[in-house]
Amino acid sequence: MTNAISEIRDADLLFVIGSNTTEAHPIIAMEMKRAVHRGAKLIVADPRQTWLGGWADLHLQLWPGTDVALLSAMAHVILAEGLQDQGYIDTHTENFEAVRAAVADWTPARAEAITGVPAADIAAAARLYATTPRAGIYYTLGITEHTHGTDNVFCLSNLVLLTGHLGQRSAGLNPLRGQNNVQGANDSGATPVFLPGYQRVDDPAARARYSAIWGREVPSAKGLNLNQMMHELRDGGLKAMLVIGEDILVSEPDVAGLDRAVSELDALIVVDLFMTETAKQADVVLPAAAFAEKDGTFTNSERRVQRVRQAVPPPGQARPDWQILAALLERSGVEPVRGVATSALTPAQIYEEMASGTDKFAGISHARIEREGGLQWPCPTADHKGTDFLHQGGPMRGKGLLVPVNYRPSVERPDADWPLCLSTGRTLYHYNVATQTKREQGLLDRHPGCFVEVHPDDASRYGLRDGGRAEVSTRRGAIEVDVHVSERVQLGMIWLPMHFAEARANLLTIDAGDEVTGTAEYKVCAAAIAPR
Amino acid sequence: MPDDARKLYRAEQDVVPAPGASTTLTVHIDGQPRTAVEGETLLQVARRAGCDVPTLCHDERLQPTGACRMCLVESSDSRRLVPSCRHPVADGQQVQTASARVLRHRQALLALYAADQPEQIVPGSELEVAMRRHGVAEGVPSVSSARAGRPEDANRFIQFQPDRCILCARCTRYCDEVEAVAAIAVGHRGPQTTIVTADMRGLLDTTCELCGGCVDTCPTGALVEKKAAPRQMELASLPTVRTTCGYCGVGCQMDLSVDREKGQIVRVQSPPPGTTTNDGNLCVKGRFATGYVGHPDRLTVPLLRDRTTGQLVPSTWDEALDRAHSLLVDAKARHGAHALAFISSSRATNEENYLAQKLARAAFGTNNCHQCAAT
Repeated sequence: MTNAISEIRDADLLFVIGSNTTEAHPIIAMEMKRAVHRGAKLIVADPRQTWLGGWADLHLQLWPGTDVALLSAMAHVILAEGLQDQGYIDTHTENFEAVRAAVADWTPARAEAITGVPAADIAAAARLYATTPRAGIYYTLGITEHTHGTDNVFCLSNLVLLTGHLGQRSAGLNPLRGQNNVQGANDSGATPVFLPGYQRVDDPAARARYSAIWGREVPSAKGLNLNQMMHELRDGGLKAMLVIGEDILVSEPDVAGLDRAVSELDALIVVDLFMTETAKQADVVLPAAAFAEKDGTFTNSERRVQRVRQAVPPPGQARPDWQILAALLERSGVEPVRGVATSALTPAQIYEEMASGTDKFAGISHARIEREGGLQWPCPTADHKGTDFLHQGGPMRGKGLLVPVNYRPSVERPDADWPLCLSTGRTLYHYNVATQTKREQGLLDRHPGCFVEVHPDDASRYGLRDGGRAEVSTRRGAIEVDVHVSERVQLGMIWLPMHFAEARANLLTIDAGDEVTGTAEYKVCAAAIAPR
Repeated sequence: MPDDARKLYRAEQDVVPAPGASTTLTVHIDGQPRTAVEGETLLQVARRAGCDVPTLCHDERLQPTGACRMCLVESSDSRRLVPSCRHPVADGQQVQTASARVLRHRQALLALYAADQPEQIVPGSELEVAMRRHGVAEGVPSVSSARAGRPEDANRFIQFQPDRCILCARCTRYCDEVEAVAAIAVGHRGPQTTIVTADMRGLLDTTCELCGGCVDTCPTGALVEKKAAPRQMELASLPTVRTTCGYCGVGCQMDLSVDREKGQIVRVQSPPPGTTTNDGNLCVKGRFATGYVGHPDRLTVPLLRDRTTGQLVPSTWDEALDRAHSLLVDAKARHGAHALAFISSSRATNEENYLAQKLARAAFGTNNCHQCAAT
């Protein structure tokens, strides 16, 4: 997020797109409700009628996967009506003419034909966003889980830069992170592209920095992202995997082919809390500690590094991941932290080593968080107070890059055999693949199992009744689920939560990823439905 | 100010003038001149000045109602005592927060609240803290009488004990103003007045999202976490550990009350409003879904695949780590570093993610390290 969470309540306008905030980020949704109570305008763009959509001044119920068309038309209206902040564009951005050309033909009428959103609503949303001070954009996986996810994000950043809604309190571009430490895992360098602090692996100076800290050469060969790993796994290119805390056989797209590929690995080592579907296939299963059983830090969506503290001991012989990883490093002849004996290692020392190689976190330490509470990076020195919102006085990279984007449809669209568009997502009462939440009966009382939302007219068409059972199928597989007949979804669209191993939504989803990030297209594939 | 009061009042001490507010006023609190901003209440200024003004119906996230009368103070602009939580500041006001008249009112009121509670007041509740700090007038006999309630319901998280309810309506206002689902309301009349749901249904059959904010804001313990209810009287004496929620990316701070002997989390509370990013709020998962932590399904010993039977069998840590390490080393030797993949976790800590990529890069020479972070 470029803004802090506490700034949401003071916004004049919230543009929430591809985020079912009340269910996926309930506490941020409370801040949004507070802003609306105060008089802020709310625009929600989502294919489903979400709870927040019911509160919106404008709910743009677009067809799944047509975000680029919608957002290009909004940019078109802003430029056609001269609502852009030309001063900001001239001073702080580059590539303006290319974007002006790219959106020139994207009239709201053209976008209406693709998105299904009335042209007048698109124009109204564009005007409202462009002309309201302190306007913030908030998005989640509805934007990124597409083969054109990066394009979607560029469209949003174009809107931000064209209107100058950046570098101020309550105005900016705010991805809401889905897991507790998505932000921190990337910050810490657990990505093939970046070393800690977003220093590129292909930058020799960055490699030299950590090579010096580790006393081992940082490899320069390009690494695989998760989506590419799954492709390599299917193709037999991967031989050994260490998997920490992810049930890839449930959570990855198009999981049917993965079962076989995983069983053919030379080595599979799983570190987890529970005997997951993936752990059942492993050669070695290492029992890990849960969040309340260990010390360390998580970094939230607003870049705030906060402490995780041990409250209870792990069960049996379970150990925190950091101890397990330190033991494996030691066996490889690498000191987990340079100059510290593994037996005396603490999470504070690990953080210190990580921070020593990057300005972004150099001023942050466990000791400081103990004294002052969570700190938001960038925080370059021990006396720096941290940064609540980014890009003050102009974009951090110098000039904000406007990126022209061409609309590309989703990879798999409904046809005669697979007539429905299937989208997946989260509910309030469960979390990811529910390894944790299915063990809480009070949550199961509300959502005991998997269901599919079907529009009433589709329900009559396919002979489905509310509360009955249905088989949902795609080219890749089929699952059986309860039927929820609901006007929350559009005609021709069905929606499934991804939480249930017993009815794996990801037997259905398509294994096509965004070209840049590899993020899979969980939000759109073609499906059929029949009563059971 | 005593420590427990400081904890309750920290939020108000942090109050800063709203952006754009320009009119600065001077208010005399207990004889001392204090700076205030137009639109502030006497309570905000008094607490910022360190005065110990008790409240029961006040929650800074909610519109003030002045219902409980605990915050009455003397103000030069009124003949009667005024509820400071909703009395606006005015330039030159003379305010007394601890005069004999104010104290007499305060103690009498507390005695009346106490008289209508069942035997023991819940330790650590705002009511109990206020009684302990401000004293209770003598001579008010217990008039405790059964209150109207609603039938016990099937939800497993939130329990309502009508006998402890003082009808301050913090729970219903929270449900309406903050969570904005309006599942509960004050209903019925006279002595039958209580906290109701539509048609007195169980919470699972209402718009309730089970966030439990009503429990956190209740000043008397009339609302309690159902699982912790049998231990309600000892909850305040349990040690607490401040940590960060492990579910979504908001990073809510939470205080875990811990039974150290049993190694159990007894309940989860939010830190006070105004002190952390979550501003006193938690959602259903953060507050109530920690049962997995001590669940019997947890893995408790390392397991190795037996090469003859093909079954996973328990092993020691040393055996398991040696095997894990040699499997990775062998695979690299046979197929090269590019045939290895390290999937770290966006659920794990920063320190753990750092060590995971260090293991991939420094120990095994590959950048094949990623995790399930799609946003």
